Amino acid sequence: MPLPPAVRLAASDCLTALGDAGSTHAALLRGEVALQLRPVLGADGAEAVPLAVVPGRGYDETAPPNWLGPLQALAAPLAGGGWGTARRPVFVTSSNFGVGSLYAYRRHGDTAHLAYGTPHACVDWLAAALGWGPHVTTVSHACVSAHLGLLLASRVLQAGLAEAALVFSFDFISPFVAGGFHALKILNAGMPAPYADRPTGSIGLGDGAAYAVLTRDRGEFALEGQSLHNEMHHFTANRADGAGFAACLEPVRAAAAGRRVWLKGHGTGTLEAGRLESAALAAAFPGAPLVGWKGSLGHTLGSCGLVELALACVALRTGRVPGTVGASGPGFQPAVAFAEISARDTDGVICASNAFGGAHAAFLLGHA
Amino acid sequence: MLERHIQAVSAHDAGLEEPAATRERLKDRFPRGATRRMTQLGLLVGAALDDLAPDAADAIVYASGYAETRALEGYLESFPGASPTLFQTSIHPSAVQQAMIGRQLPVREFFPLTGSRHLPAHAVQAALLSPAARVLLCGGEERGTWLLAQRAASDRTFAFALALTERDAAAAGRIAMSAADPAAPAAAFTLPEFFDALRQRRNLDVVAAPGLRLEVQWR
Repeated sequence: MPLPPAVRLAASDCLTALGDAGSTHAALLRGEVALQLRPVLGADGAEAVPLAVVPGRGYDETAPPNWLGPLQALAAPLAGGGWGTARRPVFVTSSNFGVGSLYAYRRHGDTAHLAYGTPHACVDWLAAALGWGPHVTTVSHACVSAHLGLLLASRVLQAGLAEAALVFSFDFISPFVAGGFHALKILNAGMPAPYADRPTGSIGLGDGAAYAVLTRDRGEFALEGQSLHNEMHHFTANRADGAGFAACLEPVRAAAAGRRVWLKGHGTGTLEAGRLESAALAAAFPGAPLVGWKGSLGHTLGSCGLVELALACVALRTGRVPGTVGASGPGFQPAVAFAEISARDTDGVICASNAFGGAHAAFLLGHA
Repeated sequence: MLERHIQAVSAHDAGLEEPAATRERLKDRFPRGATRRMTQLGLLVGAALDDLAPDAADAIVYASGYAETRALEGYLESFPGASPTLFQTSIHPSAVQQAMIGRQLPVREFFPLTGSRHLPAHAVQAALLSPAARVLLCGGEERGTWLLAQRAASDRTFAFALALTERDAAAAGRIAMSAADPAAPAAAFTLPEFFDALRQRRNLDVVAAPGLRLEVQWR
């Protein structure tokens, strides 16, 4: 299957528990860890697990959802841009949308929560709140959702169907989703004990939202080599031979041939996936330094691909790449960088994400 | 204009059938033991895809507005002792993954879409933009229980799959998308309406989303 041509990235930003892209990048450079122990069921208590929540936002669901304000602040630079029209469509991606509202309804019986519980109700409400028109496509594929939005938007642009496309991604954690991950026994309730102390590793979860404005010919950065692969091997495990990681990276490797790159891995903290991912990246890009930021930000789920793209843009712009904050050596590969690295002698970054079902996604981001 | 030819179509209308009845009816379509944890939507989408003999070179586009409603209801009911199985099963796009994991069949591209009023239009556009030689466009819903009572679930259970290629030899029909006047109002054109048209092999010519005209012509 041929690789799609490059598209340009005209603007991007993100929101994490550490602030916007600039603030988050600076905090990561300082080695700050946003994850904090909180009761997994919020006001209903239960075991404390590592969660990174946007400051000022309560973890428990409210009606309307309390993450609208932070999203409106993130999207403020987009206001008046004519988004959601035929020539400027929007691609919304998320894993959870407002599903935490259904948990709140089930627990407390307040029907006000139901208005935000389904993906389409949530997106319709959000589109109205952000002033978008009706040209809104919604994509949901767990933790590679944002990558799919980028690829679909790129194809719309390359087909000449739009002059610009807005990819907008968000996932705000709640007892619904944290309760599910905790049931899978992969949240690091032993924090600050290292995530690697548990036999299978462990992770934290974080709020995340981001946007990217794509165009065909305008923007500081180029997005190319977008690649997907779906193992369809197991819901929560990858093929033990790492073939899924390699299959996804092969087209990106071809796109990056002859260029000096650094690597932003998915790196949630689960050990087997980390071992497979770092080995596949080392094989495809020998000697390229590898970093991951979820040890500080938590896994921002369906938004992670776009959140980390926005952070990678800041890193490319400043030449300073935060290291693998929230983890310590030894890494699975010598290329894992725990401290800051320089992007000044590189041509771009490979950004990779993975999801349930053995889903993989990656792209090459570089200066245009 | 974007267009492809419909090489095959599969439509499964389960109506008000209960999940246990669907499981019993379709259990021979899947590997032994695989259906025990499959959802009703997973069974139906899996059967629809199975009718088209999916291949590793295919791209898959999947549309569902509510997805695994019964698993979601069960997961919500499982609190405070959240069920890990129901959690992972409830995550969109579990239905296709249930089917394809059962087959151990990888695919490069898999685009799961969701939405409501314009979901078929956006799913068709994603399928027509794919560079894959063959695209399987599938979708479906499963009828909810207590979420349906709150109008947060589908009231029908169905699934479909279309095999779309660029070659027209022996095609059963044609599906196309073109630009419509962006100022023209677009009616809601939902997944159940699209399913009914496919099941009845009814021609379509509708502004299925703002600015997007959807045509389906059967031979």
